[in-house]
Amino acid sequence: MAVRRKLIKERVPTPERPPKERVKDFKEVNLGYTFELAVKEAERCLQCPYEYAPCIKGCPVHINIPGFISKLVEYRDNPDKAVREALRIIWNDNTLPAVTGRVCPQEDQCEGACVVGKVGDAVDIGKLERFVADYARKNGIEEELLCEFEEECTGELGKVAIVGAGPAGLTCAGELAKMGYKVTIFEALHKPGGVLAYGIPEFRLPKEILDHELAKLNRLGVEIKTDHVVGRTVTIEELLQEYDAVFIGTGAGTPKLLNIPGILLGRIYSANEFLTRVNLMKAYEFPEYDTPIAIGKKTIVIGAGNTAMDAARSALRLGSEVTIAYRRGREDMTARIEEIKHAEEEGVQFEFFLQPVEFIGDENGRVKAVKFERMRPLEERDKRGKRKIVGTGEYVTLEADTVIIAIGLEPNRIITETPGLKTNPNGTLVVDENLMTSIPGVFAGGDAIRGEATVILAMGDGKKAAKAICDYIEKKRAKANA
Amino acid sequence: MGYRITAKENLSVIDFFMEVEAPHVAKAWKPGQFVVFILHEKGERVPMSVYKADKETGRVSMFIRKLGKTSLQLYYEFNVGDELWSFLGPLGKPIKVKYYGNVVFASDAVCGQAENYATLKAMKEAGNYTISIQSFENRANVYPEEFLAKPVADEYYLTTEDGSVGIKGHYLDVVKKLIEQDKVDIIFAGGKLGSLAKLAELTRPYGIPTITTVRQIMVDGTGMCGSCRILYDGEIKFACRDGPMFDAHKVDWDDVIRRDSRFAEQQALARERYLAKLREKGVI
Ligand SMILES: Cc1cc2nc3c(=O)[nH]c(=O)nc-3n(C[C@H](O)[C@H](O)[C@H](O)COP(=O)(O)OP(=O)(O)OC[C@H]3O[C@@H](n4cnc5c(N)ncnc54)[C@H](O)[C@@H]3O)c2cc1C
Ligand SMILES: Cc1cc2nc3c(=O)[nH]c(=O)nc-3n(C[C@H](O)[C@H](O)[C@H](O)COP(=O)(O)OP(=O)(O)OC[C@H]3O[C@@H](n4cnc5c(N)ncnc54)[C@H](O)[C@@H]3O)c2cc1C
Ligand code: SF4
Ligand code: FES
Repeated sequence: MAVRRKLIKERVPTPERPPKERVKDFKEVNLGYTFELAVKEAERCLQCPYEYAPCIKGCPVHINIPGFISKLVEYRDNPDKAVREALRIIWNDNTLPAVTGRVCPQEDQCEGACVVGKVGDAVDIGKLERFVADYARKNGIEEELLCEFEEECTGELGKVAIVGAGPAGLTCAGELAKMGYKVTIFEALHKPGGVLAYGIPEFRLPKEILDHELAKLNRLGVEIKTDHVVGRTVTIEELLQEYDAVFIGTGAGTPKLLNIPGILLGRIYSANEFLTRVNLMKAYEFPEYDTPIAIGKKTIVIGAGNTAMDAARSALRLGSEVTIAYRRGREDMTARIEEIKHAEEEGVQFEFFLQPVEFIGDENGRVKAVKFERMRPLEERDKRGKRKIVGTGEYVTLEADTVIIAIGLEPNRIITETPGLKTNPNGTLVVDENLMTSIPGVFAGGDAIRGEATVILAMGDGKKAAKAICDYIEKKRAKANA
Repeated sequence: MGYRITAKENLSVIDFFMEVEAPHVAKAWKPGQFVVFILHEKGERVPMSVYKADKETGRVSMFIRKLGKTSLQLYYEFNVGDELWSFLGPLGKPIKVKYYGNVVFASDAVCGQAENYATLKAMKEAGNYTISIQSFENRANVYPEEFLAKPVADEYYLTTEDGSVGIKGHYLDVVKKLIEQDKVDIIFAGGKLGSLAKLAELTRPYGIPTITTVRQIMVDGTGMCGSCRILYDGEIKFACRDGPMFDAHKVDWDDVIRRDSRFAEQQALARERYLAKLREKGVI
């Protein structure tokens, strides 16, 4: 029953480490709620009825948000029980809450729709989700719930191969395992997680949390084969001979680069190269770790999405001054609001309406400056609702001894070369309404079919595909038996 | 789970041979493809050419130069029975094995020497007349006979730059002679980048197809990071995904060579630090 509550307009803030301190290391910036603070924030939720709650509609996987929030208030005298009940509800729709609580663009999704947000600050749904996951992990509650699941994971219903261990693949694997399938994931890198492992830095998503999520899958009987590139080490065709179905969750891992003069100069990185060196290979601890990174005193990051913020803030932590240069205006930046805020607090500078046209090198073949054309916004808007921009014919040159390009990603081409696998002109895989590709029995989801999207959408696809795969295998069996 | 080292041997004063058990790679490997391995949890991802890949035993072997931190550590600290942390592959596009006529293989450094054997063997099986030219700096750098491509090639040349063994000179000199004798239909080459750039200029006027390994500093090796980008025919290509073998006439070699020194300072630092450690321990 919905309870009438007094509306509290202001959010209970989550403690954060001060900017001056946190730019010195890669440890997590936001410290998250304590149980007391979480309950206080939970009390701000008006408990809109399930059928109407706008936050649920705003969530791509439709988590029962008022449901889980209410448990925190209801069992406020028994934190363990409160979290156990809350987690049970979240897990119905989302098995990686410690991740999504940290990385979802909540302001565009659940929180963007929250009714409290119409008069004050929206309920901090993301931080509450994160709190539940973190508390459950640290206090053995996750463990208890996992034991309940384990019994269902018989692995007897069939065998499924998953390509790529990003959020899409991991979710699909977890769901199928719970349904009773034997699942094997094939991952190209030496570490599973996809962007969560190589892209998103530890100050936003500690590796410990990712490792924990992976251990969870392990418990459900999912096998992960790292060092396997599908399309090279093993082909989809070969997988189809051994498995009843295949799910492709290979993401959009190929960086777009600017084909302008000077692109091959030293110290011009794609964000993926930069972030992989720093996050996955721990180049920030070079030479203790073997992978090097070369960075100068002045870094320019090109782009304004999450990738650009992550690259900029990583560069700051490596001791560089950082400017983000974006070809559109401030309001068009696509990064999460929290990341933009954190970047600003930490001292990242922003320059708008600048389109790079040339990289200028020094005598050693390294970049020393970037030439930009100034852009001007028009009233007209493009398909995504952003104002169109045109060049002004006016140029500016900014000094930089390091450049990081974060202008977007395309699907990995090794998988799209698979014979018979149809792609759209932008390289994404063609799928039907059940997420089945042009090859029968081969399904796909996440960035591989959407282009660059979000963690939660990738997870949503993984889940939907798991159901479709289950149907597909059942039908196939029925036909064979008939 | 690691990948067990099954053999290790010195090839010369500067290069060594190593064989690793990696059935998933051995099963799928085709000539022209490479691997990426990591020594240990703190290690770097390093690409290597493949000398042999045996489907039956599941073993993959390589020729490796004792060069920087990683290769030195592999040489000094990893022995038969030890395990490598990660071993990924095969990567890159296989070369087209078919009948070309007279096929020349040339190399003057480890990565090319490794490819020399396996690719040449496959080409011979496809009915080609195969000519191998392996160049070394001097006698001390020459490999034992069993590791040379000599036994598999129809025609074989060994050169040293100082003339201490075999023909005095470089593979470029031998290639020039073979072209004059009208014996070259296609060339496959690997090894030092500078030599490959010169080879491209040598064969260009004759229009002889020249396919070379374009070695670039890599991270993932799967097309995810863009570290290995090159300018090829005016377009950006990734050496790991679109190569590593490319038509040498279309490669912008100046840029390739320049990009190879991107981390020179960091690499020198890591090497010095590691050598100091070895000295301290009395290993060297
Ligand atoms: C730096 C950065 C920051 C981001 N920040 C956010 C954020 O804050 N919030 C948010 O919601 N989204 C964010 N995103 C986007 C989000 O990470 C992606 O939308 C999401 O990871 C897509 O999941 P996926 O499973 O489809 O693919 P990925 O996470 O890309 O995983 C794909 C996996 O497949 C593997 N693979 C690829 N090809 C093969 C092959 N042939 N064989 C075997 N394995 C293969 C890859 O190695 C990888 O592990 C960010 C992206 C980046 C790059
Ligand atoms: C397709 C390909 C095939 C190769 N085959 C062989 C081979 O058969 N035998 C062999 O000894 N070497 C080979 N290499 C080169 C080998 O990867 C590097 O020499 C190795 O990474 C050196 O590491 P290091 O720490 O010992 O030396 P470092 O001091 O790190 O580097 C020495 C030199 O190696 C190159 N290098 C360093 N790191 C990388 C990297 N991650 N990727 C590519 N190049 C790098 C640079 O040119 C550098 O100047 C190959 C490289 C590529 C790209
Ligand atoms: S919309 Fe806001 S107030 Fe309503 S249930 Fe969701 S979180 Fe609570
Ligand atoms: S090594 Fe990363 S794209 Fe080639």
